[in-house]
Amino acid sequence: MNYRNQQLIPCFQRPPSRVVIRRASTYRQDLTALILESLRVYQLPVLGKSVLLKANLVGLDPLGVMNTHPAVIAATREAFLRLGASAVFVGDGPAMDRDTFAILESVKLKDFTGPVGGFFRDLNLDDVNRVPLPTRASRLKELYLPRTVLGVDFLVSVAKLKTHHWAGVTLSLKNMFGIVPGACYGWPKNVLHWAGIDNSILDINAAARPDFAIIDGIVGMEGNGPIQGSPKPAGVLILGDDPVAVDATACRVMGLRPEAVRYLAKAGTLLGNLQAARIEQVGEKIESVHTQFSVLEEFRHLAT
Amino acid sequence: MTDSGVHAVEELSMRQSFAPDSDLAFLQDFCVPFLVGAQNQDGGWGFQRSGESRVEPTCWSLLALRNAPGGVATDTFASGRQYLLAAQLRDGSWPASREETRGSWVTSLACSVLSVEEQCTEAVSAGLQWLCRDFPRDSSPFRLFVRRFFSSDSYSAHDDSLRGWGWTPRTSSWVEPTAFALLALRDAASACMPRGASARQQLAVELLYDRMCPGGGWNCGNPMVYGVPGEPLVLSTSWALLALRDHPSHEKKSAGLAWLRNSYPQITSPGSLAVAKIALQAYGAGVADNASSLSMLLDQCNHHRTVHVIAWTCLALNPQRAWFPPCKGAA
Repeated sequence: MNYRNQQLIPCFQRPPSRVVIRRASTYRQDLTALILESLRVYQLPVLGKSVLLKANLVGLDPLGVMNTHPAVIAATREAFLRLGASAVFVGDGPAMDRDTFAILESVKLKDFTGPVGGFFRDLNLDDVNRVPLPTRASRLKELYLPRTVLGVDFLVSVAKLKTHHWAGVTLSLKNMFGIVPGACYGWPKNVLHWAGIDNSILDINAAARPDFAIIDGIVGMEGNGPIQGSPKPAGVLILGDDPVAVDATACRVMGLRPEAVRYLAKAGTLLGNLQAARIEQVGEKIESVHTQFSVLEEFRHLAT
Repeated sequence: MTDSGVHAVEELSMRQSFAPDSDLAFLQDFCVPFLVGAQNQDGGWGFQRSGESRVEPTCWSLLALRNAPGGVATDTFASGRQYLLAAQLRDGSWPASREETRGSWVTSLACSVLSVEEQCTEAVSAGLQWLCRDFPRDSSPFRLFVRRFFSSDSYSAHDDSLRGWGWTPRTSSWVEPTAFALLALRDAASACMPRGASARQQLAVELLYDRMCPGGGWNCGNPMVYGVPGEPLVLSTSWALLALRDHPSHEKKSAGLAWLRNSYPQITSPGSLAVAKIALQAYGAGVADNASSLSMLLDQCNHHRTVHVIAWTCLALNPQRAWFPPCKGAA
């Protein structure tokens, strides 16, 4: 369902959400088939539409644990093309290093997709439009956001399953930080930190309204994420059309309480379903893929 | 002897690779025409060829086209200058994009570029005054006071009393905007210098040294996070080195230069390669072998061809460049 132009819905009025959990032990398996099968659960309205996959490309990542794995990006792109999307772009605005193409080289995306020039968008450098923030959760009243993000028909957050040293976890909602353009706000996008990370996450997602979320948890990151943590194989892909429900499910897979993650608790009031009772699991059960992620001392309270 | 002198002597035996014929041809036949052709009707440049004009790519383009081989029409510079002057905000700052009503780090770039234009003295003075009035909030006396009682040393290990510049006003100090502000103050005529500028410069230089990563080199400004050393980056390191070049020798400056020289052969993107080359040449340090040349990297994929990257390439390949010309002995 496309929420982009819809009003924000209070949690008590929102219908239940469905989240798909798929077991995937390696990046070498046929991920396209797995993702395509999962997308078909939702009958997404992407035929003839433009799609943007907002990947999580944080930095130079020779070990392949910090960023959304290129195999997942390529498989997702192929799956949306097979569903009939007219164009499937991949984009991000890395937060710490403005040399996006050095990052692309380091993740070797082109080895999985072929030449990236035709479909990759550096969101840090895109032309921008002023967007008033509907939630006003942070002190920011408006943001300048990339026209690529605002112009596509269907926006997908393709995130990584990671802990985060400031926010607790970084999943599909936190991944949307990357749409805020560095050319306006810098590397890092420090104005968001000063406005409050939790509230900024809410504001950005309320403004951009991702239509779908996919989390690469085949190998995640635990501890001092999102950059300096340790690899944590979890062997899952988590997908759904309610990013809050997807993130809540991801937390439960990681052995963390989504209600204790401040920004998720807030997002659960307006952006999607947080409570387990409001989320229907499709595919694997949480218990069958549960993998306890370690967190920094400051976030010990998140653990179940 | 200065750092640049030491390295000039050290590097005499290194491979002399600056501006071979193919580089000059690439500069003349591709880079300069690309930039000239990318100028918008309003006189500015966007990040992409057909993109909306923005202050940052406009500044890099103007800087790159100065002293470009073959010459560039004066109209190009005049309309570019006009774009910048029209984009300046009332408080003296420049915004990062059209419509924005708040100034940002690009104020430093605009001041650097306009400093050579006699008719822009007033605009540059106003810009530098704005810069010197903008103090990052993370190092405010109030925050330092509060931190004495609630400090947590576990996150970072840097000295919070030092003040540089942020990407946006009233946020935190970071390496790159601090480097660009230092460059703006370096490039400005003494008549344009605001009161207190030299004290800000001193603090900013100390901040850069304080924020250096343990093994040499800089990243955005996090040398340690929860006890783990940060990884240096080529662009941050290059800008920091350029900003520090005219300051007295310092062991950390040498360490940064050594990190950049060692990293140079592994650089695989044209933007980083161009800026690293400018920085190393500005110190008279040799540019070691890199399997890829700038023209090769730019040829490989046209999505690398953003305006600012082509502008950096122009600067890197132009032996006559006015901004940080190659030091004698540079390889």
